Amino acid sequence: MTWHLCALALLAGLAAPAVAGAQAVQNATLRRAQQAYDNLEYRQVVSLAQAALRERLTGPERARAYELLGFTYGALDSILKAVDAFKQVVLIDPERQLDPNRVSPKAYSAFDVALRQVLLVRQLRVDSTSFVGGRGAVPIRFTVTQPARVVTRAIGTSGGSYVIDSGAWNGQVNLSWPARLANGDPVPAGNYTVVVEARLGQNAFSASQPIRVSHGSVDTLQSLTSLPGYQYLPETEVPPQSWRPLGLAFLYTGGALIGTLGLESSSLGSGSKRELAVVGGAALVTGFVMTLRKPAPRPAAANILYNRLLRDQIARRNQDIAKENVARRQQVQLTLVPLPKPSSAGPR
Amino acid sequence: MSRAAAGVALLVLAAPAAPAQRVAVTVGPQFALASYREVASGLRYQGTGFGGALSARYRKLSAEAGVVRLTLDPTTGSAATSGFTATEVNLWVAYDVATYASVEAGFIRRTADPEFDAQSVGAVRLGARSFYEIGPGATLLFRANYLAAPKFSGGGHAGFSIDLGLGLDVRLAGRLHGTAAYTFQRINRKTNPGGTGEIDAPIQETVARVGLAVGF
Repeated sequence: MTWHLCALALLAGLAAPAVAGAQAVQNATLRRAQQAYDNLEYRQVVSLAQAALRERLTGPERARAYELLGFTYGALDSILKAVDAFKQVVLIDPERQLDPNRVSPKAYSAFDVALRQVLLVRQLRVDSTSFVGGRGAVPIRFTVTQPARVVTRAIGTSGGSYVIDSGAWNGQVNLSWPARLANGDPVPAGNYTVVVEARLGQNAFSASQPIRVSHGSVDTLQSLTSLPGYQYLPETEVPPQSWRPLGLAFLYTGGALIGTLGLESSSLGSGSKRELAVVGGAALVTGFVMTLRKPAPRPAAANILYNRLLRDQIARRNQDIAKENVARRQQVQLTLVPLPKPSSAGPR
Repeated sequence: MSRAAAGVALLVLAAPAAPAQRVAVTVGPQFALASYREVASGLRYQGTGFGGALSARYRKLSAEAGVVRLTLDPTTGSAATSGFTATEVNLWVAYDVATYASVEAGFIRRTADPEFDAQSVGAVRLGARSFYEIGPGATLLFRANYLAAPKFSGGGHAGFSIDLGLGLDVRLAGRLHGTAAYTFQRINRKTNPGGTGEIDAPIQETVARVGLAVGF
């Protein structure tokens, strides 16, 4: 049993300095209690902490005194007393949290039991967010330690008050607030306080978080000049060089020659071919020259069609963007930022 | 002749008024070589001349007109004793029915001076042509026309008359074009002089025209 106590005290001793180091203790009696705890002199811790509590202490000092008592009672197996001490801790500082890896299981379980026996709203968080009015919501999270009727409100500094949620909750609660009025308009810009009020019988507890709501204009979209991944194709293409021009010149000249020879009148005799030689020769020379020249670019029908489709698609997208921009110019960009929190939580 | 000249003049006047982007017009002078035979192999002429040509295109519709004045002299061994001057007017209006083919109609009018030294002819042209751009600015053309309802100054008729053509238009530089055209014409004229019975009096002409043209 002695060995077990020593081990437990060692665990508690490992944890306590970490917590104590976080805040400076001004009260001499409380400092002595802390020292006695560090020296594992638990009887002395109890008497000194109780003595300190009878003196004038700040809130954090009072919480620390009760916390020392809680750890010490836990080490001494006085679980009920430890729970009572931890209850006082969380009533003074509802956000107080113990690290289960650094405190003894007995102390931690006593702290957990204490949390369940006191109605608290803890860990109220309003995330910083920005969204277009009507198309988003502000996430709000908090924890209620007992089943209770919880009303969440946003109270403006200028007097407006908006109910965010009202319901029976226990444990972790996740809410989303669209920040809109009943008529759909966004809530006016300004400073607000999100107040979570839990009520269970005669007990009530509230927590709050100040936030700032600001309005801005919604960014409009740029018109498109191209579609990502799609590029205009050249609307003409140069065909490969070939003998086709000369072949065609032969074909046309040959047609004229054959036609002339075939249609010549036998009674008139064979006529002079100098006229055909002049024009046919010019055609053949032209065909030969054109064969040697770089072919003229020709319209690429498939590319023209593709470009037309692409232009149509971009035009349609730009029409949609124009409509969207008209709508966006009538919208409001809401930005919500949590503000530093005053110590406003407490039992009522 | 006067109506043909008026038609050509109308085309010339109308072309510049039309928007340049929509109507392509070329007009220019031409030098001509010609051979002409009539009735029998012994009656043959050769000569040269000058003329002009005009062409216009609007989308699938195109028109061509040409005027040439030829001085034809008897060739060596010809039975003819004197030459004559022929003035020939041609007009075609064509419509593209395919990428490389058109149907066309028009007329031909050829007059001889002195009037009785050769036959003057007038006929309606009906036919088709094929054209192909063999290179940048170079177009070849081949046409076959049936000469319908021919009229002759010396009377007679022709059951079969045909006109074949080979054309070339090359853009030499900027608006300057080089043009060349070959025409072979065969008219199976038959006549009945003095009521003694029909005899063949065919007409055959070949003309080559080479020239320059300015495009608008």
